[in-house]
Amino acid sequence: MHAIQQQFWSVREYLSPVLRESKFKEHGRITPEEFVAAGDFLTYKFPVWAWEKGDPSKARDYLPADKQYLVTRGVPCLRRATSLVYTDADEEAERMLSFGDEGKEDEWVETHAGRPALSESAANPGVIDDIPDDDAAGGVTGGIASMSLGGKGAEETPDLDEIPDMEEDDLEAGDEATAAPNTAQATGTGVIDSSQVEVAKGNLLQVRTYDVMITYDKYYQTPRIWLLGYDENRTPLTPSQIFQDVSADHAFKTVTIEPFPHSASLQAASVHPCKHANVMKKVIERMNSTVVADQLRQSSGPVTPGTKEKKKGWFGRKSAGGKETPQTPGEEDDVEGMRVDFYLVVFLKFIASIVPTIEVDSTTAM
Amino acid sequence: MPIVQFAPFSSLVQPSFWHELTKLKIDVLKLSDESLSIHGHYSAGKTIKDRETGNDIALGCNLSVGEDAFSKEFHAPPNAVPATGVFKNYNTIEEFKAADKTALFNKVADEIWAAVMTNKDPSILNRFLLIAYADLKKYKYYYWFAFPGFVAKPAWEITDGWRAADTVLSYEAMKAIHDDLAKSLKPYFLVRTNGKVPEVASVERYEDFFAGVPPSSQLVGFLDPSAIPENPGWPLRNLLAYLRSLSPATTASLRVLCWRDTEPPHAGSGWRSRFGVVEAGVPQEATDARPSAVGWEKNVQGKLGPRVADLAPMMDPTRLADQAV
Repeated sequence: MHAIQQQFWSVREYLSPVLRESKFKEHGRITPEEFVAAGDFLTYKFPVWAWEKGDPSKARDYLPADKQYLVTRGVPCLRRATSLVYTDADEEAERMLSFGDEGKEDEWVETHAGRPALSESAANPGVIDDIPDDDAAGGVTGGIASMSLGGKGAEETPDLDEIPDMEEDDLEAGDEATAAPNTAQATGTGVIDSSQVEVAKGNLLQVRTYDVMITYDKYYQTPRIWLLGYDENRTPLTPSQIFQDVSADHAFKTVTIEPFPHSASLQAASVHPCKHANVMKKVIERMNSTVVADQLRQSSGPVTPGTKEKKKGWFGRKSAGGKETPQTPGEEDDVEGMRVDFYLVVFLKFIASIVPTIEVDSTTAM
Repeated sequence: MPIVQFAPFSSLVQPSFWHELTKLKIDVLKLSDESLSIHGHYSAGKTIKDRETGNDIALGCNLSVGEDAFSKEFHAPPNAVPATGVFKNYNTIEEFKAADKTALFNKVADEIWAAVMTNKDPSILNRFLLIAYADLKKYKYYYWFAFPGFVAKPAWEITDGWRAADTVLSYEAMKAIHDDLAKSLKPYFLVRTNGKVPEVASVERYEDFFAGVPPSSQLVGFLDPSAIPENPGWPLRNLLAYLRSLSPATTASLRVLCWRDTEPPHAGSGWRSRFGVVEAGVPQEATDARPSAVGWEKNVQGKLGPRVADLAPMMDPTRLADQAV
């Protein structure tokens, strides 16, 4: 069933026309050209992002051959989103993401901002026992049981008899100049080796890393995010492990495992883009009005740049700091509002609310 | 003085590498178990600030192989340097177990040493070995990496500990090195600081680049995949062996720059690179013979043994169908 659905989606994407006209401010969707422009800006400003070609046979002809999708590798993820247990007391910790124009309705809520993981859950990281399941033949219960979050499912404990019994401790003698993994914690420098975190702090951290890809979805005319995860031993994560890093509101619903469009066989977790355009439209609208107001003020006379204005103005002005000039072509209007180049920067902030513990948003350093 | 302890490489195999291997095995290799040349890459060690505790967490000292590992025209990603490797794939788990690992390892170590002694070629210093067995039906991949590193006897020692590089270099000097490396990133490099602006050169030029330069203005640098303050990364090990064997007269004490700043520091964080003065002990006898080497990667249990990547949850069509809701 799922295969048929995927087939349908790929045909639908193939048939749907390429968006030509730029309307990103009206409906939050972008054209492939704008995707490339925004991607160029992202890679210029944040060199951790890079363009990739992907599998040539899967190349999309409406994108340049060497700019098929964006990738950043080794994005750290210190905690599980599922260990951030949500309680009523945390309601106040919610932070409205407003992008400047405070006080308007329907801002979206960033729920897990800066909240310490509960100590109980740190010692016992969201382990939910498998649901006892008589009806193992399948169906909904079967599916859920096999995906139990953080559970010690069969797929997490490797079958011991399947690992070849070939430890060869005599292969090389101990070497005094090889750093043992625990040498770092004794130092007073305040940097902790990721493999030693729990020992050092008594606070369970399992540092996972993610490869994050952004593709252009022609049907939804928005970027689409893809995740490939590794655990602290750099073993690829299973789907159920990846869902531990997705906020509970989105796991299994908007985040699913799908074939990665630029590879023949690779599967990755993806945030379904059907709501992206709406959310992006709202964010952009709000940011745009701030930016326009800012630019009007800029052009009508000198402004004493308060710290607040400086931060907002960044999104609109092209050469605020001289070297901030993006390398992308653009019109030279005095008042143009938010430029499409910033689309992906904003997009990443939105994605960060779906995967709160994965540090996809490197743009906070701005 | 404490002995210099090098943070070993950890392998990071992107799932796309196994996908690529699967394709290659079915379409090209079939039953051949000839050694192949592969490419990997590594970049500067990263730390991340834990926003909840304020601690800096050092991420692994990783060498990655991805889907372009078998490609003839390999390009390392931005801010990473390439490493070449030898890849040997076995057809059965029995052959994988029975492989003569010592011989394979010594062959790679010999190749590195021969390249050092005959061509003074530093590009091969980070050569690695990967043996694997792919169980294509079960989507399981057994593999074992080795990163040969030469053992110095007696071991290198560190004087006065490792410290932040900007305690010995000015901001301008750090920036100049950064800008030079941003143009062409090198796995190993030399810096001389006796001029107005520090100059960077490739490591083959050790003798002439440092001719007439006072030792206090000489720096031996390498792109450091380790982020642990007290442990330089594995590549330094072979770089020191290289310099020590080619220029024994001037390398008893070396000023080492562990370069970890491929991105310039932004507000709130300083330079991450480390600096230290390392000293070689007095060898018992001068010899051109290859030093012994170590570097098999340990597995998840911390033992010398192979790892297994189980991609069934992400590859097996039946398992994926269960996943779909």
